[in-house]
Amino acid sequence: MPRDTLAELDDEALLVLYANKDPDAARLLAHRLMPRLVGYAGRLLADRAEAEDIAQETMLRLWKLAPDWRSGEAKVSTWAYRVAQNLCTDRLRLRQRRGAEALDAVAEPASDAATVVAGMIEADRMAALDAALASLPERQRSAVVLRHIEGLTNPEIAEILQIGVEAVESLTARGKRALTLALAGQRAELGYEEAE
Amino acid sequence: MMDDLDALFAQAKAKPMAPSAAVMARVLADAAAHQPQGQAWPAADARPKLGLFAQFAGFFGGAGALAGMASAAMAGLFIGYVQPSSLDLVTGAGAASASLEQVELLPDLSAFLTEE
Repeated sequence: MPRDTLAELDDEALLVLYANKDPDAARLLAHRLMPRLVGYAGRLLADRAEAEDIAQETMLRLWKLAPDWRSGEAKVSTWAYRVAQNLCTDRLRLRQRRGAEALDAVAEPASDAATVVAGMIEADRMAALDAALASLPERQRSAVVLRHIEGLTNPEIAEILQIGVEAVESLTARGKRALTLALAGQRAELGYEEAE
Repeated sequence: MMDDLDALFAQAKAKPMAPSAAVMARVLADAAAHQPQGQAWPAADARPKLGLFAQFAGFFGGAGALAGMASAAMAGLFIGYVQPSSLDLVTGAGAASASLEQVELLPDLSAFLTEE
């Protein structure tokens, strides 16, 4: 199928095409889902390499499931977030058992800001956000990242975390309050005074 | 402070973590390795193709029935050529004793049609 036509298809249609041997469907689907999965897992684990492993494992499960995908039951992206979430939970538990918190291994996002100084401030802001997120309990962190960074709706988050919509609202509200507190002390460091 | 947080979220949203080229290559290699091979959907007619003899035998109800019919046909040909004398007794019995002159295939209805 021509690439232009493929680009208009939704994730599920691409998955069905992949299962039916379309050579381009996998590439397009991977380019749609991988940035979201790496971003999500990266913010949950605060480790870029681990996040990429999780994203790859999630995609591998998707490829294996493709021929048996039951359409209409769940969105492909929601399913992928849920798998990534479960894999992240396993990793975090493993870390807790090993007692190795890799908080200082926060990945610094690449910045193409106009000036070096501005770039550093922006990177610092992102690093501060990641550090603050890492200080939240796991469920709150997941809910906040999915709601405010990944931009998902509450019902979608409820499906991913397998909880009710009201519980999602409560998690995001508490998560945001805790983030605000964690960031309050870093206000000056983040450069907001400078910007205002 | 909430506005700052929203600004941070917006900033994080605007700069998604791009997956490295290495991991994308691994993901696509996985996809190629696990992509279903061969016919994805079963062919519309998945029955095995039958040979000409099998189709012919099938028409008559299988090879056994065909063998029975072939035996009967051979027996008929054999009897026709050999003309056994005992058979002559059976087939010639009626014809030899009485000659048949007229066969009334449509019965005469005139007896029923006469008025009293």
